[in-house]
Amino acid sequence: MAPQLDLALKHAPLRAPAPLFERGKPASGPRSQPGFMKLLGALAFAFLLALPFIDASAYTISIATSALIYVMLCMGLNVVVGYAGLLDLGYIAFFAVGAYVSGILTTVLDWPMWAAVPATILACVLAGIIIGGPTLRLRSDYLAIVTLGFGEIIRITANNLDVTGGPSGIHGIPTWSFGDWSFRDGLDLFGLHFSGTVLFYYFVAIVVATVGIVGVGRLARGRMGRAWKAVRDDEDAAEAMGINTYFTKISAYIIGAVWAGLAGQLMATHLTAISPNSFHFLYSALILMAVVLGGMGSTPGVIIGGLFVSLAPELLREFAEWRYLIFGVLLVVVMIFRPAGLWPATAVLPWLRRHKPQAWPATAPLESLGGDDRAEVGPAAGARPAPADPRAQDPADDGEVRR
Amino acid sequence: MSARSPRPSRIITTLLAAGAIAITAGCSGGIAGGNDPGESGAAPEGPIALGMLAPFSGSESAFGVYMQQGAELAIQEINADGGVLGQELELVVEDDACDATTSVAAANKLVTEGIVASVGGYCSGATLPTLPIFDQAGIPMVIPAANSNDLPDAGLPGVFLINGTGTQQAQSAVQYAQQEGATTVAVIDDATSYSADLAEAFVEQADAAGVEVAFEATVTPGENDYASVATQLAQAAPDLVYWTGYYQEGALINRQSVDAGFEGIFMVADGSIDASFAEITGEGYIENVVGTFTQTPDMLVGAESWIADYEELAGAAPGPYSTQAYDAVRIVAQAMEDAGSTEFDAVVTALEGLEDFETFAGPLTFTEDHTRESGGFVIVSIDPESGQFVLKDDLQG
Amino acid sequence: MMQLIWNGLIVGSFYSLVALGYSMVYGIIKLLNFAHGDIYMLGAFVGFLVLSSFGGIPAAMSIPALLVILLLAMVVTGLIGVAIERVAYRPLRSSPRLAVLITAIGVSFTLEYGIRQLFGPNPRAFPVRLSSESFDVLGMRVSLSQLVLVVVAAVLMFVLAHIVERTREGRAMRAIALDPQAAHLMGVNVNRVIATVFFIGSALAGAAGVMAGAYYGSIDFLMGFVIGLKAFTAAVIGGIGNLYGAMLGGLLLGLLESFGAAWLGGEWRDVFSFAILIVILTFKPTGLLGARVVERM
Repeated sequence: MAPQLDLALKHAPLRAPAPLFERGKPASGPRSQPGFMKLLGALAFAFLLALPFIDASAYTISIATSALIYVMLCMGLNVVVGYAGLLDLGYIAFFAVGAYVSGILTTVLDWPMWAAVPATILACVLAGIIIGGPTLRLRSDYLAIVTLGFGEIIRITANNLDVTGGPSGIHGIPTWSFGDWSFRDGLDLFGLHFSGTVLFYYFVAIVVATVGIVGVGRLARGRMGRAWKAVRDDEDAAEAMGINTYFTKISAYIIGAVWAGLAGQLMATHLTAISPNSFHFLYSALILMAVVLGGMGSTPGVIIGGLFVSLAPELLREFAEWRYLIFGVLLVVVMIFRPAGLWPATAVLPWLRRHKPQAWPATAPLESLGGDDRAEVGPAAGARPAPADPRAQDPADDGEVRR
Repeated sequence: MSARSPRPSRIITTLLAAGAIAITAGCSGGIAGGNDPGESGAAPEGPIALGMLAPFSGSESAFGVYMQQGAELAIQEINADGGVLGQELELVVEDDACDATTSVAAANKLVTEGIVASVGGYCSGATLPTLPIFDQAGIPMVIPAANSNDLPDAGLPGVFLINGTGTQQAQSAVQYAQQEGATTVAVIDDATSYSADLAEAFVEQADAAGVEVAFEATVTPGENDYASVATQLAQAAPDLVYWTGYYQEGALINRQSVDAGFEGIFMVADGSIDASFAEITGEGYIENVVGTFTQTPDMLVGAESWIADYEELAGAAPGPYSTQAYDAVRIVAQAMEDAGSTEFDAVVTALEGLEDFETFAGPLTFTEDHTRESGGFVIVSIDPESGQFVLKDDLQG
Repeated sequence: MMQLIWNGLIVGSFYSLVALGYSMVYGIIKLLNFAHGDIYMLGAFVGFLVLSSFGGIPAAMSIPALLVILLLAMVVTGLIGVAIERVAYRPLRSSPRLAVLITAIGVSFTLEYGIRQLFGPNPRAFPVRLSSESFDVLGMRVSLSQLVLVVVAAVLMFVLAHIVERTREGRAMRAIALDPQAAHLMGVNVNRVIATVFFIGSALAGAAGVMAGAYYGSIDFLMGFVIGLKAFTAAVIGGIGNLYGAMLGGLLLGLLESFGAAWLGGEWRDVFSFAILIVILTFKPTGLLGARVVERM
């Protein structure tokens, strides 16, 4: 066949190969992946805003606030574990740093809460560098134990020092105040009276969590985010492509630290008291669980995971005795049936998925080898569902498969 | 925003629509519906709800059950006598899991459920963050078990402690040490809030009383091997050591210290007063053990009928803090009766005005900072027959 | 001084026994088996159950009786380990490694709170106590029970080393640790060997659990949590995946804790151990005896 083929190729006119079969138009609007995700996000946001109008009981609002803070925390860990692939078993340490720094500044030094925000961020950046600096050269499991160690060191130190209030921690953390007005005073707006700190923390948590989610999504799609994923998928290859892997990892670490620190500050003001018990290793495991359970590197997945981990104990309140047992069994079952998480990063919306490959056009006879020799590759390549649109990925996740 | 975000207008429309619907539909139950804390408990209609936060999950969960049963017994008795202000009492319990986050959610839940007074609080660390929530909601708190000095120090008007504080317990411990002629003492705590506070108070009081503190240590709870602290203790060889943590670690430390050659008195605080202490520490290791504890019904003369009532209700014997929870409910009921209402200010004033109210730990009058005047602590030791802690010295003589 | 060393070695031998299982499982399927510490707890409860169903055992018989119960508990926990692998880990063998890690945490919760439902939240006193009559050796207080403990631990470790290095089964384990696919191609029954590893690792942890129950006298449903973390640390110090590393790491961690508590006070003990761990890993990134491993996520 070889001489014949050569001859045919030599005399064939040079033109672009015809498409093998017609592709459907990429979905657009709310049916497309980015459109749908935006719509979903907007609906969720609207629901959050509307929640206090539906049920403003202190209980609902306070668990919703805690859930949002958890989501924020999970978004931060998602950067470290989901995007940069660094297994962190001591992530709660950054949460603790944020909570303690803001707590100490506002109670001991009497700073107003808003002034503590930049200090919290700075402290978390420093903590990220201090913890990440010497350890990020280690690889996965060694890194895991070192982060675990740091998490415990921070908790035990907080438990033993006087400035952190020792084992009883810090209490009486003031609320947010701006000049003469503080959250305690309430606010009259559009003829409605907004009262109570509980509600204000909720709105602040909505804003912070939304900014956190959108921010991480945008970072992940940018230059830095691509570097994170490259390092995660193959560190050596990434380095060969000119990525500074060390800087990339530490940047992921710092972003994660800042997110956790801000969540910690929110938690400190929301609870008005913090104690070392809240920063136990168990909570690091719980946050990690939320990220993996939801789907690493997947924004909607991680949000679901965060909500699950924070709300499940409340919803299972009736079964106080049984809840951790149920929780454990549930985890095993979910991981066995959905090992990539509830909403994996590679998830494709069901109506965009094409289950049957299109009929493969019959192989043309050699003589008419017009200009397409791709038929040689055989039908295997066609079994893959056609991508709807090269850009049509989830707006906030990466769409890569992890082995 | 990047250029490719599609149709921002649509999103805004959706948002506005959803918001508008929610506002119009939900005003009654929502923000504008006036769930403003501070209004609760005006004129009681229907049963008067008392809230109780206690641990029902986690490592302290056994105590939650004891507290709930004690409170229920009191409520049963009061309701049988016609209730309070002509209304029945009812108890609403929530799990605080001894954890700040869970307890804040649970406290908010209780406020939402419309309780008019709180009779719970076991772990100081989980009780502290709930104080401002109840305070804002105008709910007085009579705390049966938690007794960290941070609680009265928070300075809130509605907080009353009926368990003896760390300072009072430390006082009894030092008093007993002197009584036994101890010249050097040691103290070991487990790095939890309550235990560390108590250890600190003990050291202060010992210094003030001129007793030398030869050794201070902190251990990590939840482990088995305390050989290193036991060795150090044996080397320091004080006449008496005060353990301020819980019974599991305490029993192990006692055994390992005796093995390491410690020969002094092993004194434990109320967290270690449990029949399991003798079981874990083992035969032949209990003679030197004493404890500081508030009186429990089985130590009181004539409490058999109370215990029988309790067993009939709960199907089990009373445990630690059953009596305190029982007293807390009775104190609140008395105060409401005195005040003639369930209003915050009136109830607080009535609580402050209580005089020599009979409780298991002796007559109760609240001090300026809303703690009890005398802790009612006694010295207990282990009965070799039953392994139970029994009264050894009431420190009165 | 000598006393500190001896105390450290006692704790260290518990850590070593548990760390061995960690390290073996990691070596063969690269899984951090977070539920491993809870197998230790299960071992203690199996011993508790058997002993309390027997009623009293005369004090003179306590050591031989304990050895029998030790073997029994080892078999039971070994089988439980195999069952856990079969139900929870095998279906996930081709999944992302973190998914299996989360499964392991789930298994750990299930075991802990399952036992809590069965035996209640309060600590239980172990029915048989090793007598703690002690005598002085080289300025240390050494008790008979401590000697028994160390001897049993040493024997178990020796047997394990023999199995891994001298038997056919051990060769298969090492082959799978190097390259599971190649081992499979060479006719090694991979599933069976992995099950064996789980059996041995769990049996060792179960043995440690029974010994801890008899030595300390108190068991509770969370007792495996802390020792699981410590054993993980020990395995990493020694170089995870390396058996001698796990033994060395366990003993070393025991000594570090003993000295840390004596020098800095009990409250700083764990900070001291973890700080040393971080220093070791900074200078020797694969642990003391660990070989460089190829990254497989």
